[in-house]
Amino acid sequence: MMAPETSSDLLQVSHFSVDLYTARAALRPVDGVSYSVAPGETLAIVGESGSGKTVLNFAPLGLMPTGVVTDLSGSVLFDGQQLVGLPEPALRRIRGGKIGTIFQDPMSALNPALRIGRQIAEVAELHLGMTHAQAEARALDLLKLVRMSDPQARLRQYPHELSGGLRQRAMIAIAIAAEPRLLIADEPTTALDVTVQAQIIGLLKDLQRRLNTAIVLITHDMGVVASIAARVAVMYAGRLAEYGPVEQVLLTPRHPYTRGLIAALPSVDDAPGSPFRGLPGTPPVLGAPLPGCAFAPRCPQVIDICARQYPPLRGSGGPGPGAAVACHVVNARPSKEQAHA
Amino acid sequence: MHEAEDLLRVENLVTRFKSVERGKWVTAVDDVSIRLAPGEMVGLVGESGCGKSTLGRSIVGLERPQSGRILLDGVDLSSLRGRALRETRRAIQYVFQDPYASLNDRQTIGETLTEALIIIGMTDREAQRRRVHTLLDQVGLPDALAERYPRELSGGQRQRVAIARSLAVEPRVLICDEPVSALDLSIRAQVMNLFLTLHKDLGVACLFIAHDLALVRQATSRTYVMYLGKIVEDASSAELYARPSHPYTQALLGSIPSADPRVEAHREPPPIFGDIPSPTNPPSGCRFRTRCPRAMEVCASGPPPRLALAPRHHASCVIAGDLYAHSHPEPHRLPMPA
Amino acid sequence: MRRLRDLFQALAQLPRLAFLAVGLFVLLGVLAPWLAPYDPNAQDLLATHADPSWQHWLGTDHLGRDTLSRLIVSARTSLVGMSLVLLIALSVGITIGTVAGYRRGWVEEVLMRIVDVGLAMPSLIVALAVIGIFGTGYWNMILALALAWWPGSARISRAVAVGVMNRPHIESLRVLGASPGRIYFHHLLPSTIGAVLVYATADAGAVALSIATLSFLGLGIQPPTPEWGQMLVDALPYLESAPWQVILPGLVLTLVVIGFNLLGESIALNRVPTPLPRRILLKRRAMAADWRKAAP
Repeated sequence: MMAPETSSDLLQVSHFSVDLYTARAALRPVDGVSYSVAPGETLAIVGESGSGKTVLNFAPLGLMPTGVVTDLSGSVLFDGQQLVGLPEPALRRIRGGKIGTIFQDPMSALNPALRIGRQIAEVAELHLGMTHAQAEARALDLLKLVRMSDPQARLRQYPHELSGGLRQRAMIAIAIAAEPRLLIADEPTTALDVTVQAQIIGLLKDLQRRLNTAIVLITHDMGVVASIAARVAVMYAGRLAEYGPVEQVLLTPRHPYTRGLIAALPSVDDAPGSPFRGLPGTPPVLGAPLPGCAFAPRCPQVIDICARQYPPLRGSGGPGPGAAVACHVVNARPSKEQAHA
Repeated sequence: MHEAEDLLRVENLVTRFKSVERGKWVTAVDDVSIRLAPGEMVGLVGESGCGKSTLGRSIVGLERPQSGRILLDGVDLSSLRGRALRETRRAIQYVFQDPYASLNDRQTIGETLTEALIIIGMTDREAQRRRVHTLLDQVGLPDALAERYPRELSGGQRQRVAIARSLAVEPRVLICDEPVSALDLSIRAQVMNLFLTLHKDLGVACLFIAHDLALVRQATSRTYVMYLGKIVEDASSAELYARPSHPYTQALLGSIPSADPRVEAHREPPPIFGDIPSPTNPPSGCRFRTRCPRAMEVCASGPPPRLALAPRHHASCVIAGDLYAHSHPEPHRLPMPA
Repeated sequence: MRRLRDLFQALAQLPRLAFLAVGLFVLLGVLAPWLAPYDPNAQDLLATHADPSWQHWLGTDHLGRDTLSRLIVSARTSLVGMSLVLLIALSVGITIGTVAGYRRGWVEEVLMRIVDVGLAMPSLIVALAVIGIFGTGYWNMILALALAWWPGSARISRAVAVGVMNRPHIESLRVLGASPGRIYFHHLLPSTIGAVLVYATADAGAVALSIATLSFLGLGIQPPTPEWGQMLVDALPYLESAPWQVILPGLVLTLVVIGFNLLGESIALNRVPTPLPRRILLKRRAMAADWRKAAP
């Protein structure tokens, strides 16, 4: 049973897989993932490096490194439009238009040779069909919207003249320039300091309220998840391990992997010098899809079937009792016990 | 201070770089003094660009300080030259943030470790082999890894190899520069626990440079907070987190989002303004005043005094006394970052 | 639109062609004595300016020498000369560059100012001046060109060496207290040489061109050793009656120079062509199809 797919969803991903081919091997970084995002909602996609969380979001937009051959299967419905199999020119109109993107490293995503104002105005000209003058005016409005100090002066500055936090604000201004319905933010605060991170998250929340933009936030930071997301999808080795409302996933995690991740966060109750809690072993190396549960080798609750059969995601990912979990052990338990698990 | 007790003392250290702007200097470390007792775990926290890495690199000699002294066991390192300096300073080792760049990808793990042994003059092949085995064992890696190349290892394994290499020269101080921030969440605890074990078993002192305050709180007994090249507060880790007495420390602790959405729903981020200013042109007087919610006129006039709030708790702020008095003695409930 | 795409696809193949051209040049150079059908200096005054025929595939020159043989043996002359120049220039350049990169400070300042002076003068002018002073001759030409070329490689070596010295794995050796000799000879030098050789590839074409230029001017390779620049001069008076004898050496030289430039550039830009061959892609797709079949 997958997430409830109502027609009101802005983004509907179902049974989506990505096959990636290199000279050495064929890999499947994303394997049969389903989720949905409603307009104005924030979904956090949490996972470690190599879990496929970035490929999952950028492959449907045609944003893969050059020279990498990928095959997409399944369905990614955005605003009623099928993105899987959409030719590049059509994707280009959607990217930066109805879907804005924010990257971890604003320096490499911004054009170093263009002034900030021009880069924002360009998006408005391209996607909104504005005239030069209109677009320049809009760039100024956007810089005010992302709460840049001294916006007039910033318009004429180059990316290298800005600090990390200001660059990320400029990046956000570009991403929202064409009034996107969906914002995909890949680790938007990871490269920033905590004091700046808090400001950027506050800004994103504020923008979302004002523009009713849906946000897909790719992150590994549970604190960021808790502060902004309504729902969470936890990825492990290309598959969803757990999917549900943020309170349930963070406060009463059910999948052994999610439980381990959340237990691993240092807490104030840990005495100084006491050992850190973590997960044993290492995440699997990307390759062919595993026949069983990818987490089985590290799982404290592993049973025989885990290595043989892949556990399907069961439960409702929407509001309702309990998050959807892909685990043989958890799903075999009667639901009474789940609350205490 | 009990001078005889200290293993490592840094006194009034200043490290400057030429700025990209012509004729200007960036003072990355500005008149910093810290100390480390034998076998002590000490934290050094601050945001990027605050000079914490430069301080660590200056101590091991990767940067050349303009002035100030670095004393190891009471010996001033600047009084030594050449081979003598190399051999003395070897007691202080450095663990780099990026485990991908800190190993030579053309050497096997065994060769990397053996090279460290050759450097300290161990030439007997059999002895080298045994020591490599011991080192790998100490960092929890299987012996078979000696034949492998770094590219075949995961990030966590590489960081263990880098730690094993530092241990090869039997250091007394490890300076760990963000040693786990490049690693995945589920791996961090494993490497952090390795540091705790090494500290317990080998009695190595650690200076733990990090931006992750929760990590530092749990791993260390004492913490320094650095801002724009200056130490602004230092205290025992438990006290620092319970009673932060510098506005910057308070802002830093208050900025960490909690992993509890119920807490997050009501939490207001602390009123700290903008980004860290450029160290080329730091604000006059107190360096934090441009972002400080409690800034007053007096803050611009001169550097704030370093006030002793408790026997081992100092803060450089004119109102540190007030902040200390009004802080709740129970621990800060917020930090629970990822 | 379609045409444009075809053109771009053809352009994408250029590095591969460049690799072939350079490979052929090196192969010809090494195997010249066995490949040349005739003695390149054997004159046949009864068959001067012969047209291409089964006997002489590319005809003969004004002295009746076989043009194909001369072109092939010239490749050897060019290859050997070029290698010697680069060997000397790179040895000097890498030594100076790495020492500057290792020591930094005033040593670097002094060395790099000397390099700047060298770079300020056009390489061909330097070579001409040296030959003007010391006279013509094979070794004078080699040394003159090496003198003109070392500053470039010194500059690149220094840049590479500074980068290598800042890598954490070298820094950790410094922290371990490794001796300067160990860091320099075991780590800095090998890493720098590898990277600088890539840049040298692009330079090789320019060196080949300079050798031809000097020979064309009569200051480089002296007769009777066959050399492309010299073949050009020899054939020039007969441009109207036997244009092929001028065009052929010029064409070969051009191909070699362009070949080296493209190859060096594509290596430097890491654009060595590695698109997934269709055969492998099909194999990978078949693997993925099997996964789908295996899945319930």
